[in-house]
Amino acid sequence: MMETELTEDIDQPLRDRLKAHPGPALLWGAGLCLLLLLEGPTYLDGLLGAIGFGLGLLPGAPGAEAFASASAFFSELPHLLSRELIPNRGYYDGSAWQGTFLGLEPKYAWLIRFLLVYAYVAVLLGWLWYGYVTFRRHYRAADWTPTDDVIDRLRSHYWGLFGLAVVVFFITMAAFAPVVGPTTAEENIQGPYSHDMQYYDADTETVETITIGEANLGSASRGSGDSNVGIWSYDDFGRFHPVGTLVSGKDLFTFLAFGARVSLFIGLGSMAIAGFIATTLALVTAYYKGVADLIVVLTSDSVQAMPALLLVILATVVFKNHWIAELYNGAMLFILLFALIRWPGLWRAVRGPALQVGEQEWVDAAKSYGQRPTVIMRKHMAPYILGYLLVYASLTLGGVIISVSALSFLGLGITAPTPEWGRAINIGQQYIASQSWHISLIPGILITLVVTGFNALSDGIRDAIDPQSEGAEGGAAGAAAGGGGG
Amino acid sequence: MLKRLVLSIPVIIFGTTVTFAIIRLGPLSPAAAILGPQGDARAIRQIEQRLGLNEPLWEQYFDFMGNLFMFDLGQSWVINSGTPAIDLIISYAPRTIWLGFWAVLIALGIGIPLGFYAGLNPNTFSDYFASFGGIVWRAMPNFWLAVILVTVLSQSEQLFGFSWTSFIVETNVVTSPNLAVLKNPTRLITDPGQAWTNLAKATKQILPPALVLGSASMGTEMRIGRTAVLETINSKYVETAKAKGVSPRVLVWKHIFRNALIPLVPVITAEAFILIGGSVLVETVFSINGIGLLFFRAAEQGDLPLVGTLMYLFILLIVGLNIVQDFAYTIIDPRVGYDA
Repeated sequence: MMETELTEDIDQPLRDRLKAHPGPALLWGAGLCLLLLLEGPTYLDGLLGAIGFGLGLLPGAPGAEAFASASAFFSELPHLLSRELIPNRGYYDGSAWQGTFLGLEPKYAWLIRFLLVYAYVAVLLGWLWYGYVTFRRHYRAADWTPTDDVIDRLRSHYWGLFGLAVVVFFITMAAFAPVVGPTTAEENIQGPYSHDMQYYDADTETVETITIGEANLGSASRGSGDSNVGIWSYDDFGRFHPVGTLVSGKDLFTFLAFGARVSLFIGLGSMAIAGFIATTLALVTAYYKGVADLIVVLTSDSVQAMPALLLVILATVVFKNHWIAELYNGAMLFILLFALIRWPGLWRAVRGPALQVGEQEWVDAAKSYGQRPTVIMRKHMAPYILGYLLVYASLTLGGVIISVSALSFLGLGITAPTPEWGRAINIGQQYIASQSWHISLIPGILITLVVTGFNALSDGIRDAIDPQSEGAEGGAAGAAAGGGGG
Repeated sequence: MLKRLVLSIPVIIFGTTVTFAIIRLGPLSPAAAILGPQGDARAIRQIEQRLGLNEPLWEQYFDFMGNLFMFDLGQSWVINSGTPAIDLIISYAPRTIWLGFWAVLIALGIGIPLGFYAGLNPNTFSDYFASFGGIVWRAMPNFWLAVILVTVLSQSEQLFGFSWTSFIVETNVVTSPNLAVLKNPTRLITDPGQAWTNLAKATKQILPPALVLGSASMGTEMRIGRTAVLETINSKYVETAKAKGVSPRVLVWKHIFRNALIPLVPVITAEAFILIGGSVLVETVFSINGIGLLFFRAAEQGDLPLVGTLMYLFILLIVGLNIVQDFAYTIIDPRVGYDA
């Protein structure tokens, strides 16, 4: 009796289990909808914008216009995390702040918006976690799966959690770049002379209007004398700069937020492509072995024998005026280059696990059962190596971020005015010992923090999926994300 | 060992082919790169003729490969027009080698002892301090560290009241070390006063960039050294050695140290990769006239023939180091055979 009940329970598809007991799922779904609705226009705007951008690359750009206009429509709609709802720019007319959120000082208005973005992301992630717990408690057929242990180990791995927190901080900053900054890249960095702002002139006691470009001239950080807008301070035009301004008077925080976008885009993009190549090759070589293995070993050896940074420098120079370097200001070129250069490292990392999985009985069983090789690789082998791939992808991503900033430090690759952290370090070089030290130091600290975060996350995942490996790290892996990569 | 050497041939061919493909098939023609945007058509055609760009591609390819393999390295076109590439490299290389030498020495001299110390005293305050330092040190971008070090050292007088520039011998921070004395070591005896000062200057100037260049490897060496020692300490043979009454000093030096070195071998050779890439950045920031800076300038100014030559030499260097690494394994760890 018991036995039949159990098998029935397991065979029931998830949909039936949901139907039988819909309460917790509905509650969770409603909460998720609410959270998504609060920010709905942003997501739709981003999604449609991305589709429009993708179509724009195709010959003739079919429908790109329509998507762009739809995306523009959604960007106008009100939502929770928007500059319109919590504006932080205004002017002090001698008695009160005009134009800011609730008449607060710009400092506090910005801080509220900044914290709200992070609170929103925290709640969203917490809710997704709650969804997983609900699924585990109410809808999963099995009481326990090996994944539970992996997650439990990660939950008690404080170093890994620290890494996760840093990575989430970084991704949020990149994803919500237009909202977290005190101003937008469009206004402050790309086209400062085509946007106006108002400020209160204390001498004439009137409200004046000037272009942002002119105001930036007055808020420059150049080290000496009055010409400095440091951390956590206002400039002469009542604009608040959380981490000061650049030499050009542009807001450093906005620069960093949009720079995070570029870095993250390149890092994730190149790791996605490199990860795909590495996984495919690892599965194929582990399944067929022999000649296939030898060819890939030789190719990856060859790629690794080329000095990576120098190769990227050469390629950036050669492709400087090519159309591919125009895509997203050269980010696309970097994605392809880093994917082509970094896949051997990832492949080497997953090759061992893939070979081990290939030896398992279930793969043999699937073979004799007549399953197609592609299906065996995808269903019976791939799931076991994805964890290892994640470990090394996270480690390598840190290295890619350093390399990209190193290149823009040298003046190659991501071209101005698109923000890139390395360029800020280059710009602020001569002011480090002056009062404008923030220009170079803060981006550098941020890079160090983010790379440490990715390394820590990688350590955490490694210890979670493979507790026996604790502490025993391979030398090659250790060197992969070394700061020396760039 | 023979198999290892044979397998390295396709690796070199592949790398050189990729370099050829980027230079000759890329959107930037070498002739146009050399002359820059103002070059007129006749001059471009002339250079194309001299570089052999109007020949069929396959012929160009075999010429290119053949010349490189015969060590006929061509000449520079922009950086130092008409100079054979080999002369340029010989005049630039010593400073990079000097830099690399100190970078490896500093990394080894600080990273490994610190890691071993942390491993021998696990979970103490100094262990945590060293481990944390190693982690952060490793994540720091080279060029950023270099920029900061330059500023701090050149303004150390105002910042700390200690003047680095006049410390021991008078030097500048951002400059190329003068290595004339190393070319002529007998002067250390014949003209000791001048020669030793020069040597001290060259060493002092190279220390900050070498520290930066070695920083990443230093962090890695520290971490791996620590885990290696921890693993060795807990192994059975160390317990046995302890039980049979081996003195602590012999235990550490003979039984722990040597075995803990094994996982460090790839890190030490991996350093070479980092040195080659990192030297571009560090030499740029410290304006040291070395190979890295030469490569960067050549690439920036479109001296593609020179870039191709340098790339080929770097590939040879890396492949050579990989072979050395395998060789080093067999010395440190006799269990590893040549054919492994």
